Amino acid sequence: MKLNIKIVLGALVFCIMSCSYMNNISIYEPSISISSFEKFPHKILFTNSEDNGLWGVKNNNCKQVSFETTNSYVGKDHIHIKWNASKCNYIAIGLKWANYKVKNLEPIIESAAIELHVRIDSGELSNTPMFFILVDYGGNQCRAKINYLDIEGGKIDTEWRRIRIPLQSFNYKKRGVNMSNIKELRLEFQRQGDLHIDNIIIVPHQHNYENTIDTFTKVFNSHPIQLGEGKEYWWGINTKYSSSLKFGSFFKNESVFVNLDKSKEMQWNTFGFSPYKWLRVDLSSIYTTSALAFKIKANEIPKIQAFLFAYTGKKRRLQKILNESHFVDKENGIFEAYLPLKSLEGHGEFRWDSLKEIRFKILEDTQFEIGDFQLIEFRGNPKKPTEWKGI
Amino acid sequence: MERNINLFISLLFLMLYTFTAHSQVSKVVVTTNIEGNFELQRNGEPYYIKGAGAKDHFDLLVKSGANSIRVWSTNNKAFLDSAHKHGLTVTLGLHVRPERSGMDYNNEYAVKGQIEQLKNEVLKYKDHPALLVWGIGNEVDLRYSNFKVWETIEILAKFIKEVDPNHPTMTVIAGVDPSKAYYIKKYCPSIDILGLNVYGSIENAGANLRKFNWDKPYIVSEWGVNGPFEARTTSWKAKIEPPNGLKADLRLRRYQELIEKDKERCLGSYCFLWGQKQESTATWHGMFLSNGNPTEAIDVMQYCWTGEWPQSRAPSIRDISLENIGWRKDHIVAPSSQVTLKIEYLKYNNDKVIFEYVLYPEAFSDKIGGDIQRSPEPINFEIVNQHDNELVFISPKIKGAYRIFAYIKNELGQSSVANIPFLVE
Repeated sequence: MKLNIKIVLGALVFCIMSCSYMNNISIYEPSISISSFEKFPHKILFTNSEDNGLWGVKNNNCKQVSFETTNSYVGKDHIHIKWNASKCNYIAIGLKWANYKVKNLEPIIESAAIELHVRIDSGELSNTPMFFILVDYGGNQCRAKINYLDIEGGKIDTEWRRIRIPLQSFNYKKRGVNMSNIKELRLEFQRQGDLHIDNIIIVPHQHNYENTIDTFTKVFNSHPIQLGEGKEYWWGINTKYSSSLKFGSFFKNESVFVNLDKSKEMQWNTFGFSPYKWLRVDLSSIYTTSALAFKIKANEIPKIQAFLFAYTGKKRRLQKILNESHFVDKENGIFEAYLPLKSLEGHGEFRWDSLKEIRFKILEDTQFEIGDFQLIEFRGNPKKPTEWKGI
Repeated sequence: MERNINLFISLLFLMLYTFTAHSQVSKVVVTTNIEGNFELQRNGEPYYIKGAGAKDHFDLLVKSGANSIRVWSTNNKAFLDSAHKHGLTVTLGLHVRPERSGMDYNNEYAVKGQIEQLKNEVLKYKDHPALLVWGIGNEVDLRYSNFKVWETIEILAKFIKEVDPNHPTMTVIAGVDPSKAYYIKKYCPSIDILGLNVYGSIENAGANLRKFNWDKPYIVSEWGVNGPFEARTTSWKAKIEPPNGLKADLRLRRYQELIEKDKERCLGSYCFLWGQKQESTATWHGMFLSNGNPTEAIDVMQYCWTGEWPQSRAPSIRDISLENIGWRKDHIVAPSSQVTLKIEYLKYNNDKVIFEYVLYPEAFSDKIGGDIQRSPEPINFEIVNQHDNELVFISPKIKGAYRIFAYIKNELGQSSVANIPFLVE
């Protein structure tokens, strides 16, 4: 009995595992996509003017559209458009595409393209200012342009040349276009041109390109942060041209030795550095509780101005002239400086997710060394930068 | 025997053709001269660029002493052919799409497509005898956020190094900045020259490049008067444009004191614009008027390039006022009211000058860089009295922002212009 139960249970487990294993098999996926394409019923957008409706074909000062019956690629005729957008804001023709029936492009986005054939009357072009716009029934529009990679022979000339616009190349995600509810395709024309167009159809197409990720932002969300590590991320220090600023060695990490005498020639008085390798530095989650901290070796506190720059935003620069309230005298000629970021005027309008540069300007003749730049935690009153228990 | 002779003659012609075609290609290199300064050499001779951003008026350009033009894209071979016919060289732009035009540098398909297309353009033009320098991209850094664009610039520059050893590579940026200098230096080692489009920022451009650790040479690829983006605006946000005479003075000073003086790093310059375009106004950057008439900026450039003024000089407007209030201030007038416009000008050696006044609606635009702007149409307006340098007219009855232009020209058509924006309310 016990053995029978074990056998039954074993068989049951085997069956369940087998089923779940079989569920994961993906060998049918390619044929699903092929069948999706085959199932898509509205593959023809234009082969001749009698069978395929268009709008926007009335001639005006900016465009002349005709249906020419000679030298067509397929069908009785083809579209010939001449345009000049210098006096018009918008030039387009629309393809009613299956007489405005709802088109569901979702299942074929990854496996299909719009294909058309084009030619010109003379010469040779590597592209033409023509854009493709898909419009959904909500009125949302996404667009794509002709890509050199999908122009047959890499040129448009007097031969009929095949062009493909992969459905994936439309910016439908960004534009919020419902690709399962497409109404029409528009062809928009910019600048000027003269083009014959024929055989606009949907075809199977493998689009083997992906979108990469922008990796140019460094996010910081905890303290302390060492700033400006690496001399290659500094500027303003070039002894070939100016001896007033040199890299120093008194502090750990990068420091600058300042010896400014404006009575001499070529006395640079400004230097700066990237907080982190000239990437966009994102301090947005911690800037309200942060202070810029650094050290100075000097006989007396120098008169300096600090700047912060952002890569983007309406307010790209914050600045402050430092005074005695920003410094703590640590004796033996060493001063520590603290600049709470919230004390900078206009800090609320500054793009703290896009910090670019920290810069210092020396405002009077002096000699000192400045270094050990950090971003530290600061939770005190921004107007009293040195009176917080953390300091 | 006859067949052999024919074959021999054919071969001879082929060799001659190959030799001739090849010898037409100029060998251009960036080198350092005996004084340790950077120098451009063309066919072994020092070549200092006296250039203009230009697509036509090549005759006058040559007559004025220029030797080169800069064009921004490869879409018109006729520019190169025409330049060559006139004995001008060309800095040829490869139009790398800037992010602000919708280009997504995370989109591999778009990036690869653009690169392949531009490589094809390189192959098409690399042996053109007028080619001087490749300009890979123009202001791709302007309001950009994706630094990957520098990968595209480097791929193209590297490709040029492989297929065209005869012409140096340059990329052109909109103003100098330490991060841009870093990125180009680090990610674009195949770039030989930095091109600087600098208007107001030309004042410190040379010094800043040195501060920002750029250790190769540069070309001032666009320069002129301060751009509309740097200009003061009225309270209704209309850009205030200085009279042409003052702009010409500024051009002269900038050329002599900033461009010409930097012998160590600067390989020359291209003034902007030897032509006409709408950028906030129709007269801001253009050294010609929309009717093709040259302005006093042309005379200034001749002086810069040759050290001599032309025999016939354009008259030059130095000041303009509305209701006795100068051009730097706001001007607000009532609808349908009588208004007096006055200009001050230098006549030079002209016996006679002709005046013209044109009214336009204000052309507000949010376009930046060299992006195309549309010109407004002129408006009919009632002139009460016009006497020499003074115009009395009736302001529009419809409230809004307007701009009135004063033009003067000599009998040869050499012209000057100034304008004042005003608000009717």
